[in-house]
Amino acid sequence: MESFIIRRLGLSLVLLFIISIISFFIVTLTPGSPYPWGELNPKISAEVKANFRKKFHLDRPLPEQYALTMRDLFTGNLRSIKDDRPVMSRIMERLPATLALNVTSILISLSFGTLIGVAAARYAGSWQEVTGSFITFIFIALPGFWISYLLATVLVTNFGVPILGTQSYGIDFPNATAEWLDRLWHLLVPATVLALGGIAAQSRYLRATMIGTMKEDYIRTARAKGLQEDVVLFKHALRNSIRPIISGIGMLLPALISGAVIVENIFAYPGMGRLGYEAVLERDYPTLVALNFVVAALVLLGNLISDILSAAVDPRVRLE
Amino acid sequence: MRSIRFFLYGIPALLVVILIAAFVNATFLSVSKKNEMSIGTLGEPSTLNPIQQADSAASEVAGMMFNGLLKYSRDLEIIGDLATDWTLSQESTFRFQNHEEALKSRDFLNTLLSSSPALPVTGLEVQEDRLIVQLRQAGLHDSEQIFKSLWDFNYNPLPFPALAKGEKPSPFLAEPILRFHLRKNVRWHDGAPFTAADVAFTYHAIMDDRVASPRRSDFELVSSLTVPSPYEVVVRYRKPFSPALASWMQSILPAHLLEKVDPAKWPEIYNRHPIGTGPFKFDSWKTNERIRLVKNPDYFLGSPWLDSIVFRVLPDPLTLQLAFQTKQVDFWGVQPWAVKGLENDPRFELFSAPGNMYNYIGWNLRRPMFQDLRVRQALAQAVNVPQMIKYIIYGRGVQSNGIYTPQVWFYDPKVKPLSYDPKASKSLLDQAGWKPGPDGIRVKDGKRLSFTLLANNGNEVRRDISTLVQDDLKQVGIEVKVEVYEWAVLLKRFVNKGEFDAIVLGWGLGYDFDQYAIWDSSQTHPEELNFIGYSNPKVDRLLSDLRQEYNRPEIIRMAGELQQTIYDDQPYLFLFVPEGTSVMWKGAYRIRRPGRNPGEWIDTPVTMTKAGWSCDMEWFYRPEYPPQVKGSKP
Repeated sequence: MESFIIRRLGLSLVLLFIISIISFFIVTLTPGSPYPWGELNPKISAEVKANFRKKFHLDRPLPEQYALTMRDLFTGNLRSIKDDRPVMSRIMERLPATLALNVTSILISLSFGTLIGVAAARYAGSWQEVTGSFITFIFIALPGFWISYLLATVLVTNFGVPILGTQSYGIDFPNATAEWLDRLWHLLVPATVLALGGIAAQSRYLRATMIGTMKEDYIRTARAKGLQEDVVLFKHALRNSIRPIISGIGMLLPALISGAVIVENIFAYPGMGRLGYEAVLERDYPTLVALNFVVAALVLLGNLISDILSAAVDPRVRLE
Repeated sequence: MRSIRFFLYGIPALLVVILIAAFVNATFLSVSKKNEMSIGTLGEPSTLNPIQQADSAASEVAGMMFNGLLKYSRDLEIIGDLATDWTLSQESTFRFQNHEEALKSRDFLNTLLSSSPALPVTGLEVQEDRLIVQLRQAGLHDSEQIFKSLWDFNYNPLPFPALAKGEKPSPFLAEPILRFHLRKNVRWHDGAPFTAADVAFTYHAIMDDRVASPRRSDFELVSSLTVPSPYEVVVRYRKPFSPALASWMQSILPAHLLEKVDPAKWPEIYNRHPIGTGPFKFDSWKTNERIRLVKNPDYFLGSPWLDSIVFRVLPDPLTLQLAFQTKQVDFWGVQPWAVKGLENDPRFELFSAPGNMYNYIGWNLRRPMFQDLRVRQALAQAVNVPQMIKYIIYGRGVQSNGIYTPQVWFYDPKVKPLSYDPKASKSLLDQAGWKPGPDGIRVKDGKRLSFTLLANNGNEVRRDISTLVQDDLKQVGIEVKVEVYEWAVLLKRFVNKGEFDAIVLGWGLGYDFDQYAIWDSSQTHPEELNFIGYSNPKVDRLLSDLRQEYNRPEIIRMAGELQQTIYDDQPYLFLFVPEGTSVMWKGAYRIRRPGRNPGEWIDTPVTMTKAGWSCDMEWFYRPEYPPQVKGSKP
């Protein structure tokens, strides 16, 4: 098991290095210049522009820029072009909100995805299941921004419920419970929107695997022993079909982070997706490079965890 | 088995229960009516340090916390802010062969002055081979007159070497001097007194390479800044540059906090929790959520009526609208299409005014087909601008008549815009030798009258303009191919290199009459702003005269001439000036602001002024929290 983890860890580091190179060049080779005051500004002299380029190493050749950026990233000196603050502290102040959103979202996807997947496998082929599948596919297909706008408009105009940010503003809470429930509410709405696609995908994976598992000999044996259908389903079939769910977590993470860009913007949620979106618009190269790096690290970490979990529940994985 | 079932049903059930509880809880929350103003901004400020910021969100927030030496009044006149008053004078220096020559010319000038008292000379001084003439007003006019008199009577001054590379040697030096007297009762938010040392520090910080201030070009002509007393600042310029006066609206930074700190540390120690002199003090900043300011009870004009102002960062236009509708923010900048629906709604008050920007089509004058003035006029008359205003911005705008927008004080309303007249357009094209070809497109010397019009993606107004122009020009036999690019690509591949036929763009230029960077014939190199390659010697002269003229009526006259001359040349097809509209819940705020006399207070509803509806925002109050009586009653 240890050698498996070490092997995976090494592979992840190599991947991270390659990702850092690719993401740096994608970011810097995109047309546009990172002038915080806009490009067509008659007030800005050529001297100010040159001074600015020098300050952020933009006058150096690209490979040197890459080296300098990575050096600054690891020594903590990488500064944002937008506000001249260390990039890592800009990312770190958004990390808790992002993690809360993504962890909640994964929790929702997994729990509901599993429940729906099991039910779909059990009642495969019935009209209820077909209708359910149809709805699931609609959720896979619907763009997140559309659902977000719809939900935001309905909640605000029809129910008068605040949804923006991490907490209602301008309100005196009667007690601590109300305040905590309010925070949870501001977390659960965007998390649910983000999770919709995940629920749909997870339940489809699980349904497919479960149906395959249900045809195995040991399921027939279990039934032949006279076990209750629920016991067969949960104890034998589900346990043996759990692997796709676990490796699904690894695949969920990148989708969540990219989906969060839109959802965070609409719900004015202060997460990393919004930071990245603003950095793209502002051509804030240092922030983008660092953010890509952190997100890549998170995704690799997610994959690593799901690999290790897979290996833990399924010894066959360790031998692959 | 039981645990599996527990997880399978339990967790989703728990989540649903929490969601319902949180929803029910949220429906019971109600906004408490605090004495607080809430403003929604789409962008988050980059920094609250006023010499490092360039975005409008930042200047909106910082504007509540800082003061400049000068500011605009409600009528866009320049008035004192931290300065009580200021004077403008000038020292003109003439150089001679030797000391004796200089002395002789001084005596000559003394006799001349007694015979022609019109010259605003306040003193004459000789230093070695130089004669220094002190003048009551700045500008080149008087100095030129003195130079001419000296020359006429054979006291020949020697020229000075050029100030900068590429400039001509000058016959004399003209150095304007600005003298500010500062308020004495001003304190920083931390209690330290505000003095002239803060002004000097701010200037030096702007010029410091490590600060990389985008304001630098405003101060590049300053040759020295001295502080003769703690409440007096004297700024000397290398040469006359009249836009420089407005640059002293620049917010002043506290020297006692920043002087001894490396600017690289400012982002941590100052830029996100600044200390200013303004009506509001910094309270808190939750990144990507909100910035809160609280009132400064010791503000030098008196404590504001509001307890606090909160700027909420709401990056999506739809959510900003939702926040306004639920009274989470007090104001909302409305898109033109939505104005009509709100206009007759008694719940709202609308404030509309022509914006400070205009849209145009720039013709690349390096292309032979656009070099003929008749063709450019024909293009302008073939495009139906009123229809554009009607369909693109829902009638919320006016036709542009040149380089200035109607809001600014040097705008010339007498410049008549060309009217839509396809017949006149056709005959102009005929005169220019472009005759209709077999496919309806005009041809001259075997070349078709066809060009590519560029616009940027993501800007719907400009995209719509290009479509309408394409259609209008087809009617008079001109073929237009529209290409849309991402903004950065558009700049990099076409604008910065000057390689395009025609392009839809807009300028938003503030209140500065100086447009040297956009129209002077020297500014046509790659990455410079005269990217259409416009060149007119008369315009060049007007531009350079204008930026050396300090006399307000003269500036208005010359700016009008400049506007007319450029409009006659039609280097751009000047399209329209869109209107900006903001909405407020009816009666949400009133204003009680200090009057001209000490102790006088003026109470008014929120109204539109030349400087916009929000120019007195620090004096807004909520009627449910009436101001504690101070001075006269409304």
